[in-house]
Amino acid sequence: MKLELQGTPEEVMRAVEALEAYGEDKQIPAKILFGLTLALEECASNIVNHALKRDPNQTFGVTFVHNSSQIVIELRDHGVEFDPTTATSDGVADDDEPPGGWGIFLVRKYTDELIYTRENTENVLQLIKRLAQ
Amino acid sequence: MPLEIQVLQNMSSQNTGALTVKLIGSLDTATAPDLEREIAPVMARCGKDLMFDLAGLKFISSAGLRVFSIVRKQLKERGGQASFINMQPQITEVFEIIKALPGVGVFASEAEFDSYLAARQKMVEENH
Repeated sequence: MKLELQGTPEEVMRAVEALEAYGEDKQIPAKILFGLTLALEECASNIVNHALKRDPNQTFGVTFVHNSSQIVIELRDHGVEFDPTTATSDGVADDDEPPGGWGIFLVRKYTDELIYTRENTENVLQLIKRLAQ
Repeated sequence: MPLEIQVLQNMSSQNTGALTVKLIGSLDTATAPDLEREIAPVMARCGKDLMFDLAGLKFISSAGLRVFSIVRKQLKERGGQASFINMQPQITEVFEIIKALPGVGVFASEAEFDSYLAARQKMVEENH
C-alpha cells in the first residue's frame, strides 16, 4: 500500500489509521500493530514538524510492505538530510527530556531494525518488524 | 481517531471536589494540542493533584506524553502529583518504556487512588 500525504498532523494520523486497517487485514497481532502505528506516528510527525515545517503544500510518502516474515514501513520526504537512526536518547524520564528523544526511543523499542538512506534529494527511512513464523 | 476530553468533579469519594480528566480516543500529534489547550484552565483550578482516567485512551505518542510531562512538572512544583488510573495495557507499556512511572502515580482504579489519598492524609495528620 502506498500513500502520498500532506505535511500536516492530520495527515500523519491518516497514515496511522491506514496502517491499522492494513495490519488488521493482514492479521498482524494487535500488540505488534500498536507498536508499529506508534513508530509510524513518531517518524511521520518528525518529518511533518521538522522537514516539512507543517506546510500542507509539501508532501511525503508512506509505503507498507508485508510478507510472512516481516512488515516494512517506508517513509520518504524531500526535507533536509536527516538520519534519525543516529539520534540518541537514553529514554530516562526527566522533566527536561525533549519529546523528540522519547519519540526515537519508542521507535527503537517497537521495531527490530531502522534503515536510513539518502537517495538523491530524498530521505528514505525503513522501519522493519519481523514476524514470528 | 479524535480525542474526547471530559473534566469531572469528584463528589462521592475520599477525594471529594478534586478534578478528574477523562481522555477517550487517541492522544497523538494531531490531538495533543487540544489537550494542552483544554488542560490550562483545569490546571488553574485543580489545586495540587490531578487525576487522569485513561480507561478510554487507546493510543498515545510522545506528543501526548509531552503534555503529561508539563502537567506533572507544574503539579510537582505545587507539592502534588499527576495520577493515572484505568490504563489499558498498551498505554501502560508505553509509560514503562519511557520510565515515566517513578514521577507519577499510577493506580488500577479510582478506589485504589482513594486508598492512597486516605493514607497520605493520615500521614499528614500524624505529622502535625
